[in-house]
Amino acid sequence: MNETMRNQKNKRRYTDGILNMLTYASSAICVLLLLSIFIFIFSKGSGMLGMKLLTGDYWAKNYMTSIQEKNNHPSTYKSPEDASDDMYWSERWGVGFVDARNENNEAIVLVEAIDDASPFAHLKDESRQNKPSISAESGYLLENLSYQTTQGTTRLAGNIVSQDAKTVARLLDQDAVSINKIYFKTPGGGIRGSLLTTLYLIIISLLIALPLGIGAAIYLHEYAAKNKITSGIRSAIEMLTGVPSIIFGLMGVAVLFPLTKLAGADTTNVLLGSLTMAIILLPIIIRSCEEALAIVPQTLRDASLSLGANQSQTIFKIVLPCAVPGILSGVLLSIGRVIGESAALIYTMGTYVNDSPTLLSQGTSLAVHIYNIMSSEQPNFELACAISIVILVFVFMLNLLVKLMSRRFNKAWY
Amino acid sequence: MKSYVKQYINTIENQKKLRKDQRMKKLFLMMALLASSAIAVIIVFISIKGIAPFLPNYTYGSVDFLPFITGMTWRQDQGIYGVGFIIVNTLISAFGAMLLSFPISVLTALYIAKIAPKRIAVLLSSVIELLASIPSVVYGVFASGTITLLVSSLAANFGFVTAGGSSLLAVILLLAIMIFPTITTLSITAIRSVDKEIELGSLALGATATQTHFKVVLTAAKSGIFAGAILGIGRAFGEATAVAMVAGNKMFGPTFHLFDTTRTLTTTMLAGLKETTGLDYDIRFSAGLVLMAVILLSNLILNLVKKKVGKLK
Repeated sequence: MNETMRNQKNKRRYTDGILNMLTYASSAICVLLLLSIFIFIFSKGSGMLGMKLLTGDYWAKNYMTSIQEKNNHPSTYKSPEDASDDMYWSERWGVGFVDARNENNEAIVLVEAIDDASPFAHLKDESRQNKPSISAESGYLLENLSYQTTQGTTRLAGNIVSQDAKTVARLLDQDAVSINKIYFKTPGGGIRGSLLTTLYLIIISLLIALPLGIGAAIYLHEYAAKNKITSGIRSAIEMLTGVPSIIFGLMGVAVLFPLTKLAGADTTNVLLGSLTMAIILLPIIIRSCEEALAIVPQTLRDASLSLGANQSQTIFKIVLPCAVPGILSGVLLSIGRVIGESAALIYTMGTYVNDSPTLLSQGTSLAVHIYNIMSSEQPNFELACAISIVILVFVFMLNLLVKLMSRRFNKAWY
Repeated sequence: MKSYVKQYINTIENQKKLRKDQRMKKLFLMMALLASSAIAVIIVFISIKGIAPFLPNYTYGSVDFLPFITGMTWRQDQGIYGVGFIIVNTLISAFGAMLLSFPISVLTALYIAKIAPKRIAVLLSSVIELLASIPSVVYGVFASGTITLLVSSLAANFGFVTAGGSSLLAVILLLAIMIFPTITTLSITAIRSVDKEIELGSLALGATATQTHFKVVLTAAKSGIFAGAILGIGRAFGEATAVAMVAGNKMFGPTFHLFDTTRTLTTTMLAGLKETTGLDYDIRFSAGLVLMAVILLSNLILNLVKKKVGKLK
């Protein structure tokens, strides 16, 4: 008898252990998942992060330039003190080059540093009519450069004759007496346009969705009687959360596009994306606003009403100010949603990366920019991951803020 | 709500105030109605646009409905649009993801809600929150950078060749990852809201803690857990951009083989989006309509199942 009981107990302990192990294992899987996502995104993308990524244009620009006549002669320039070791400095022209590799892994020569007085800082843009003066900048790709030698012949240097940075600097120092033409390419691959578009999207969609959402929430929480109509309105709004975002995109082009056409748009545009986003945000804002209204104590309302204020005065002067933190967390959540949204925006704003977006032109948000990169034949994973890092940083910061705020304002703060 | 202004101070000014109050109420009502009408607008307009290609007087040459809904080929270049196999693919990938994700989610939720020490529980729930807040494109980048490699090397082990890893298996794995936080969060809520007394009763009857967790707590929370599963599967159906990065968009089907490329309703709607007029564009609305129908139907069926499951004791 004792033996069988002990046996049973051992068996029980054994199965319990296995079941518990299963829960440990699945929790470990979820932690590993998050870690592997982080490691993948950050290891691939961190190399490209930097101000150049955030402020640069996406599309590379070509510059056909020549040096302004009065500067077109060699003199002596000192190499900058903070120059890196792999930079090759041309002393007589005041410009430093480095070797680099482009996305197809081909060797290229980039401009690294330029002396302020260097001829390379006094160029004129030959491709434009009035030949505005420009300066070469760090990061420009030296595609080709033709120069006059001491013998009076014209030679070529740069990428086009596949020279490395060292050769270019040496040739410039030893042979060149004047430079005829320089063909630069700007690096490209920046996300300034997408950042701007994302900002437009956030501002406009919130401008529309916030008043509408707060108004609806006030009606539902402060005015509405508990009847079938109210619960109908509530469930209609609730249903919006279950609609996939690609369906919102379809709705945007079908319903809202004519509206933006009135504003003068002829293609899908950023404004259309913002209007669509506003509808996607509505349920989020309404829900968080309602939750915020619910924690405002009834006694405050009663006190205000008993002092002779009417209902709308009470709402605007007493209830809403108390609900501000909750509404704010709704706003933060909405911003996170706008930053992460992609499918709806692909339909309503197109996938063309626009370096100078306006409200009525096409553009891409950061997320759609990633989609654009990933849907090309040879996706540039580094850039996609770098933009992902930017998105993740934003989204996590917003989440952290919401958390801090809800902790701070969970109890009454007024 | 009743007017709280007393009759005896009913001066002209008060009347004005009251009227303003009434106007504000109407304004708020308008806003609420506007917000709630959005769903109706979506359904009506997408239906109109989606049904248009099947009507006889459609501008770009009408499409027959029956071949569309049962068709096994989708070729934009030849103008053949059959959505039948795509529906099957969508169902397979979503339910496959659910099959994979559901047990892990529920076990994780159980660990967080009942087993883990408090600190670890807090940490793990923040991990879940972080996973939930990662946008879908980022999951897409992750999937096409790692999951596809994993799948293609796995396929090589079995002697299959994949299209660079884009496959049904990759889609299922990706969707499983994406719906994991949804199911887990709802399961945690459901498990936490189980009556403490039921648990204590089970313990008092001599069951071990683990037995109580698995047999009593999970059974009591199954309705909430199932709700999480329904929400998760809705998300799996509607996921677009991330899936489009690993699906491979096969032109015919349905795809049953794990290492074969696939095509879901959402990837079909995203693929080759260039023009904004013409049949090729309008047929996407029809696909969207089908997607909405699929989501609605599976939700209905799953809710029926949930009711049945909830009744079982």
